[in-house]
Amino acid sequence: MIEWSERKAYWRHTKVQMLTSLLPFLLALIVLPFYAEVLNDARVLGIPLGYFLACHGLLVIAFVTMAVFVNRQDAIDHWHGAHEDI
Amino acid sequence: MAGTSRTRLVNPRLGTYFGIFAAALAALVIMALMFEQLGASDSAIRFLMLAGPIALYGAIGLLSPARETNDYFACGRRVPAFFNGLVLAVSALGGAGFLGLTGVFFAVGFDALCLSLGICAGLVFMGVLLAPFLRKFGAYTVPSYLSRRFESPALRVVAAATLAVPLLLLLAAEARFAAYAAAWLTAQSERLMAVAVVVCVTVMVLAGGMRSHTWSGSAKAIAALVALAVPATIVAIMMSNLPLPQITHGNTLRVLTRVESARGLPLVAAPLLAFDFPGEGLEPLAKRFIQAFGSVGSLAFALMSLVAAAGIAGSPSLLSRPGSSPGVHESRKSFGWAVLIAGVVLLTLPAVAIFLRLMLLDQVIGQPVDRLPAWFQALQKAGIARVDATTPAVGFGNVSFDRDAVLFSLSFAAGFPQALVYLALAGALAAALLALAGALVGSAVLLSEDIVHGLQTEGAPDSSRVGAARVALVGVAFLTGWLAVAAPADPFKLFLWSLTFSASAAFPVLVLSVWWKRINSWGAMVGMLTGLGVAAFVILLAEAGALTMPSVLAGAIGLPAGFAATVVASMLTPLPSRNVVNILQEIRVPGGETLYDRELRLQRLRGRSPA
Repeated sequence: MIEWSERKAYWRHTKVQMLTSLLPFLLALIVLPFYAEVLNDARVLGIPLGYFLACHGLLVIAFVTMAVFVNRQDAIDHWHGAHEDI
Repeated sequence: MAGTSRTRLVNPRLGTYFGIFAAALAALVIMALMFEQLGASDSAIRFLMLAGPIALYGAIGLLSPARETNDYFACGRRVPAFFNGLVLAVSALGGAGFLGLTGVFFAVGFDALCLSLGICAGLVFMGVLLAPFLRKFGAYTVPSYLSRRFESPALRVVAAATLAVPLLLLLAAEARFAAYAAAWLTAQSERLMAVAVVVCVTVMVLAGGMRSHTWSGSAKAIAALVALAVPATIVAIMMSNLPLPQITHGNTLRVLTRVESARGLPLVAAPLLAFDFPGEGLEPLAKRFIQAFGSVGSLAFALMSLVAAAGIAGSPSLLSRPGSSPGVHESRKSFGWAVLIAGVVLLTLPAVAIFLRLMLLDQVIGQPVDRLPAWFQALQKAGIARVDATTPAVGFGNVSFDRDAVLFSLSFAAGFPQALVYLALAGALAAALLALAGALVGSAVLLSEDIVHGLQTEGAPDSSRVGAARVALVGVAFLTGWLAVAAPADPFKLFLWSLTFSASAAFPVLVLSVWWKRINSWGAMVGMLTGLGVAAFVILLAEAGALTMPSVLAGAIGLPAGFAATVVASMLTPLPSRNVVNILQEIRVPGGETLYDRELRLQRLRGRSPA
């Protein structure tokens, strides 16, 4: 069980992790589609680059974001002793 | 459940059971294929592909009954991450994703990405911002969480009434999609099928509530994924010699782009806020596939992806899912699986649309009206496609295609045996049934726990809580049946409206209830009501034509309004009490006993010892 004195540090750590997970993803989600038209001249695997990045790229970014978040947050939990005692 | 190990909670044979299910499904499909080659009648194969899978889901649902509240409302908190992720991903998409979104990709190409990205991002938001904390709290419904979190019984009723709006819209939308798929599968009328699917789903989940829903839902999700993958993979092999439709449609796309420009498909530029998705029924091809922002303006694209993300993240029928995982870490992991599975599906849907679009452009457009390929004539006869014969050759303006039929028309156009066409339909039906069951269980629990039992639910014995939920389930089923028959609007629009409402009414308050210490019960109440009111007002204005923005983007105004109202109302009213802040601090730490379970345990202890 987490110490009372650790809670503040734990929550600060958690907040930073949340922001570092979500902000880059959010930025990519909003900005990337705007450049699709310009990027479409280049091609990857025969797929126009703009479409490829907006479709495949963002979905991969989403998965990587989530996977990294799960592992990092678990490490934070253990570091501060906030993990579940199972 | 302090002291019970996670490994003891999870059934180690789940993989075996669902392996058996997948094998049974494959056997069914192969059997249908063989019967068809042996000359069995079309209606027998239809019946086999409809009744076979539904009997399997129904058997799983009926064989997992529940008598205790923890089983009935939270599946005993023993669903491992993969299965939770599977159900989450497929029910976030549902029939609207499988049938509707494929059709939207077919008609408007690139612009449909705003929705697919939004849904995937919604799962990420929910997994990072909400799910772990709701799991730590462990309440069975969102209103029950909010009322305990803020120690305000009134908030429970307000939240339940607010969340009923997106739930009812979702119920109507998914029932319509399920009825659509079932109607094509049985060649019966859509209204009759609407009643039939609601009855089927009710029977499936009545015995075990969340428990039945989770296990029969996992089976439905597997069936939906298999049914999506099989035709798409075979077509991918036919077209690109590689069995991965998700990444090998590049060559097809290049041919498609060339054919589109050769056939003179227009390049259109949409105004910033335009949002022109194809409606229900027959719709023409709007623009070139790869061109960005031809039907949806660039601003509307960004807004729609954010509204869809917030809508999925705040969706009350999905938010009851983290409660069924064994722990906080496990619930985070389930979102990793959900994003992976949803991502693979969302890469397959555009591939299906691209394949069918190329077939249409290659074989139909530019051909003489009286010499169209056989598959297209059959689709015309079935009412899925239409050519308005004004010119001797078929042009773009003359062809229109049924939006929701794109997914299973691919199997038909590729010349597959009928059994595979019915498999695609059965898969879409499974996805719609899963989303429908989720919304049905969600609203029934909302009704019985938060409204009927209201303030003293937790004191009631298990049998009466489960009994009330069963009665509520039947009541909601009647309502859904009526909605599905009576609701006149396009089901895809109903789905988008549901996202808009959950984005503006639920998402702001839920996020702030975890991440902002200053929020109090007044803020939560005002925030929910403002989000709901603003979204409803904007939708009404936009539908009446008084506002030059699409009504499905109402969440883009409702969401900030909800945030602002929550913050302002909280700042104007007194600080939250010491006790409320303590609860928040408990939620923020994964370790320790689930708060709701502890409350129930203490209540039982008090009840046993004479005071």
